[in-house]
Amino acid sequence: MEVALLFIMIVTLLLIGVPIAVSLGLSSILFLLMYSDTTLGSVAQELFQAMAGHYTLLAIPFFVLASSFMSTGGVATRIIRFSVACVGHLRGGLAIAGVFASMLFAALSGSSPATVVAIGSIVIGAMVKAGYTKEFAAGVICNAGTLGILIPPSIVMVVYASATDVSVGRMFLAGVIPGIMAGTMLMITIYVMARVKKLPAGDWVGWGEVGASFKDASWGLLLIVIIMVGIYGIPGLTGAIFTPTEAAAVAAVYAFIAATFIYRDMGPLKTAAGQPNRALWQQPSALITGFFHRDTRKTLFEAGKLTIMLMFIIANALILKQVLTEQQVPQQVATALLGAGLGPISFLIVVNVILLIGGQFMEPSGLIVIVAPLVFPIALKLGIDPIHLGIIMVVNMEIGMITPPVGLNLFVTSGVAQMPMMAVVRAALPFLAVLFVFLIIITYVPWISTVLPMALMGPEIITN
Amino acid sequence: MQDDQKFWLRTRLGRFVNELEENVIALTLGIMTVLTFVNVVLRYLFNASLIWGLELVLVLFAWLVLLGLSYGVKTTMHLGVDAITNILPDRPRRLTAIIAALACVLYAFLLMKGAWDYWAPFASLDVTSGRWFPTGFTPTRTRAFMETDQVPMPFFLNFLSGLINDGDSYGKLPDVVPYTVLPVAAALLLFRFVQATWRIVTGASISLIASHEAEEALEDLNTSRAEGN
Repeated sequence: MEVALLFIMIVTLLLIGVPIAVSLGLSSILFLLMYSDTTLGSVAQELFQAMAGHYTLLAIPFFVLASSFMSTGGVATRIIRFSVACVGHLRGGLAIAGVFASMLFAALSGSSPATVVAIGSIVIGAMVKAGYTKEFAAGVICNAGTLGILIPPSIVMVVYASATDVSVGRMFLAGVIPGIMAGTMLMITIYVMARVKKLPAGDWVGWGEVGASFKDASWGLLLIVIIMVGIYGIPGLTGAIFTPTEAAAVAAVYAFIAATFIYRDMGPLKTAAGQPNRALWQQPSALITGFFHRDTRKTLFEAGKLTIMLMFIIANALILKQVLTEQQVPQQVATALLGAGLGPISFLIVVNVILLIGGQFMEPSGLIVIVAPLVFPIALKLGIDPIHLGIIMVVNMEIGMITPPVGLNLFVTSGVAQMPMMAVVRAALPFLAVLFVFLIIITYVPWISTVLPMALMGPEIITN
Repeated sequence: MQDDQKFWLRTRLGRFVNELEENVIALTLGIMTVLTFVNVVLRYLFNASLIWGLELVLVLFAWLVLLGLSYGVKTTMHLGVDAITNILPDRPRRLTAIIAALACVLYAFLLMKGAWDYWAPFASLDVTSGRWFPTGFTPTRTRAFMETDQVPMPFFLNFLSGLINDGDSYGKLPDVVPYTVLPVAAALLLFRFVQATWRIVTGASISLIASHEAEEALEDLNTSRAEGN
């Protein structure tokens, strides 16, 4: 009963415009003061330990930073050029290239809105110029952008792993096949629509351009190799080289070097638009000044800001999680649901519904922190693989991002494409249906999520 | 924002503080990244490590986020749901915004008391009495002798042993140093929430929240588009 009160308070505060983090934190604090012996001092400690006590979450600022360097430098442009060279000649080629580019960019960044802004701001304009309708372009990018949280590295997966004590490495591996599958499904849908609607096709530019654009984009794409090889080692040769957190820090440093000294789209070697950027040998002092340059500072600052924003929500969600655990809510929910004779399939439907509703109010990582501990013990009892559950949750978050009224990607796309929200909603609808089919497949075919981590890392041992 | 210029950039002091905050955020994240990176390199190339590296990075992580909260309030960047408040007519909308702001002030106030109570024993000070509201001080046993696991004691903090630890010198950095961020950050947060409330009451701003994390990136995009046209 008291717990119901807690949730009512959270939702009320959210709806009157209190920041998400404060809604979660204030409700939890008031609840603790009224119904338990916990002191305010231990709440403050909890808040400090949310960062200082969670090594896994430390990966978040580093992945955000790597992705900021990659977005600031011209990596998005280069990836798009490569994608267009590969698939631009097909019917609806530019749209397919947009999805392909989103998949590649998603593998560099851990966030969906970042993917939409980076790819959408270039591709949507280009598609309209090539004769597509703006609605179609916006719908494609809005959906493709959601792959940002499914294709590793992914901030939402880091949060899930941290909340449930499963391995981040496993979660990342588990996202690979579903990510490629979702991207492929979107591309096939576009191709079919393009044939039916007779959408324009570009010209085949030849293998030379494919090679050249790949070479140009390869410094950015190398980041994927660094992260994956770092976390899993070279198959058959080495074991894991870094922890995911270290891999994220190495990726951030590499992204800085690539953006400042190789692409030179930011930092001391950048020149005015239209001129070739200076080479390092022309200005060796850049090796020093690069670290303190205005652009470097700005990128660090932007990444820091996003980290603060996300961690404020996650830290308060952790306080709420503490309250729920103390009140034994997960156990009660488990008994109630299991008592109602819920099998694995109906349980997963319940999870889908909770997440789709919750996703309307909450930032994905905050929602995961709260919902994961509630459903995790039940899932274990029902024999659902924790990794599989994680992927289901992530795919639900993806769909939540593009369902009205408050899907995050809808907002971002409406801003990028400069069209009204409702128009984006309508535009995204056909592809949303594709993602729904995808969700159903993912939910009922665990093999897709678990085969890769199983094959590379062996069966999982659950200790708690 | 209804003003042409962001209010925190209008005075010289405001610009100085803003510059300071942005530099602290950037520098902290920079140091965290470099420290972690250096430790990886040391481990693989020299089979060595900075044993205090990870502990320090985690403390800096907490500092980054906690100190950054007040900056986030100042620049209205914390996320919230504006679907309902956006469709309200003017007066109820203002009223809900004021209630929301007061809830934030309450949150920061409770956090401030909690931060003090947690931090004080480490600084050899007394915690406040009262469960909700500080009603006075209760004598508290000091915890000033407690140290971090590995972080070395920098010489310029040696005065702390005389100040709070009865002259006993520290072998490692005492816990009071990392925890000091708590009362500082909570006080700043309280100040910024009070300021934000005042701005809503006077009509200088209309809400406390941003609706999505890419709001600013979009603004930049549109500005550069406007300049391009």
